[in-house]
Amino acid sequence: MTTALDKDGPAADRLLVRRPGPQELRPERAHRRRRTLELTLAVAVPVLLVLVWQLAAARSWIDARVYPAPSTILADGWHRALAGELWPDVRATLQRVLAGYAAGTVSGYLLGLLMGSLSLVRAALEPLLDALYVVPKLALLPIFLNMFGLGEGPQVALVAATVFFFVWISTMAAVLAVPAGHRDAGRVFGASRWQMFRHVLLPASLPAVLVGARIAAGVAVLVIVASEQIAAADGLGHLIFDSRALFQNDVMFVGIVCVAVLGVLFSELVRLAGRFLTPWAPRDRGRTQN
Amino acid sequence: MHTRIRPRPPLAVAVLIAALALSAGCAAGPVATAPAKPRAIKAVPGCGAGSWTDPADLSPGRAPARCAKGTPAPAPLGKRRTLTVATGTLSAEYVAPLRLALAKGEFRKEGLDVRLKVLPTPDALPLLAKGDVDVLWAAPEAAVVNGVNGGFDIRWVAGNFSPGPKSRSGLWVRLKNGQDPSSVPLKGATLGTMIGKGSVIMYPMDRAFAAHGAALDSVTFQQLGSADVLTALTGGGVDSAWLLDPVWRQVDGNKQYAFLGGQPQGEPLGGALYGPNLLQQDPDAGVAFLRAYLRTVNTYFAGDYKADRSFVAELAGLLKVDPKILASVPPLRMDWEIRKGTTDRLQRAYRDAGVTKGAPLPEAKLVDRDLYAEAVGHRP
Repeated sequence: MTTALDKDGPAADRLLVRRPGPQELRPERAHRRRRTLELTLAVAVPVLLVLVWQLAAARSWIDARVYPAPSTILADGWHRALAGELWPDVRATLQRVLAGYAAGTVSGYLLGLLMGSLSLVRAALEPLLDALYVVPKLALLPIFLNMFGLGEGPQVALVAATVFFFVWISTMAAVLAVPAGHRDAGRVFGASRWQMFRHVLLPASLPAVLVGARIAAGVAVLVIVASEQIAAADGLGHLIFDSRALFQNDVMFVGIVCVAVLGVLFSELVRLAGRFLTPWAPRDRGRTQN
Repeated sequence: MHTRIRPRPPLAVAVLIAALALSAGCAAGPVATAPAKPRAIKAVPGCGAGSWTDPADLSPGRAPARCAKGTPAPAPLGKRRTLTVATGTLSAEYVAPLRLALAKGEFRKEGLDVRLKVLPTPDALPLLAKGDVDVLWAAPEAAVVNGVNGGFDIRWVAGNFSPGPKSRSGLWVRLKNGQDPSSVPLKGATLGTMIGKGSVIMYPMDRAFAAHGAALDSVTFQQLGSADVLTALTGGGVDSAWLLDPVWRQVDGNKQYAFLGGQPQGEPLGGALYGPNLLQQDPDAGVAFLRAYLRTVNTYFAGDYKADRSFVAELAGLLKVDPKILASVPPLRMDWEIRKGTTDRLQRAYRDAGVTKGAPLPEAKLVDRDLYAEAVGHRP
């Protein structure tokens, strides 16, 4: 509770006294309660939405033939998983995403580092890369098809191109943002180029780079699904759009759910990797830290 | 003032979830559709014996049903009706009767205001089933079979065309090392197509591959854009390709390529699909729509409509295509009738391609010939 004390009349300074609340009196318990509340909300909101959807389908508020009930989607997904029909598509998408992501991250990081460190390289390449950055990556698919043919190449290249720009920009910006004082300190201690990179630039830039990599993880899944619709014979994107064309709405929703799960898992994996690699960086969740 | 933390929502949320779960368990039953009443069929002047052919006649040379020019005569509806017709394209030649009927006011004469909407079949199908679209100018694709299987009230009510004898639209193969076209092995081949596995083309494709010792599941499909199919075939990206009008002209006569088969002659594989609006609620409008379509075919597309250059130019303008390209391919054989067993053969091909499941639907669940029979005055 907060009380205002009027010490020397209305014009004088007012003193606010705040009594300690549970957060101060029992911080461990308050933290546990807060975590419980957050976890409950995180689980209950999706469950509630799914139940409303189930109810709407069961009560014919929505056309269950067009928007199948979650139970139908779950049953179909389970059946397809047990029958082994789902895994080839999941595997195909995952392989493309991982290969493209690895290529895009490594190349984006190296170039970002180079451009962040050397102003002449930055001057030479930044306008060109800025121009390419704004091109919708899906528009590059026909070019990749011409370059790599009909195999996995165009899909992997598309993911790599998408990821590259996110990682490149965040790396370059992070390196440029390293305070001059940090570099000066390195120089004062006589750090070599490698030592400057290893002990100054890398730790200072890695948290921001990993944020870019995490955003890129979600976008990589997004791009591959769109690309598989156009030029692939398998994969989750192909499954979604193929089943849509065949009016198999339950299968289409199975594909959508799989993409959502894949996107969340991949993004979380990158986030966990980031926390492991940069324990000094602040946690990137907007939750209350007690 | 500080805020007290009251973590009590789990109970409220649990109660709400339980209530919803219980409610969700009580499913509403499907809406039953009342059977349509039999309709009176009157003789139609101008539509004689030639206006109906035996649906079981599958001979390639069968002359399609025809009435006299300008018939069946318009029979305007008592009240004007607006119909929304969805079609995947406005420039394909098989849409020409529809577009010409619209341009010549044939629908207006029936008391119909027809609006064309360009929509791909997967998008149009739910709208047709819901009644937001009245007619779908497409084909009984696998999506339609799946939709009817799922409980949608959709029927194929009229055919569109079958290819002319000189057409080479269909399966083309690249010959390797002096291969004989009649014995090209297709097992394990790659096929470039702009059409998916759920298309009616699966049926003639199934036949063509079977004739060359290959089942559809042994073929690798590569779905490509219209411009890329020919490039993939000529560039070696695929072994075979399904080439449409007029793309096949590019390889016709080249000994490196062979035509292995196309859509069966005398057997339309597409046309008009009706949903509940015209099947159940307003069959009069459904018959009127077909009457206008049939009259257009009888008046303008009865024979070799490409012999008349001025008509080709008119069509080209309507379809917004180059008249030279339109004239470069043989005319389609416009045919509003649906052959017996076509949907069975289509469903067999869909099953072979793995795009439909369950027992095949009987023809009566997919086809309704009564509406065009009424339009020409044919009594079963």
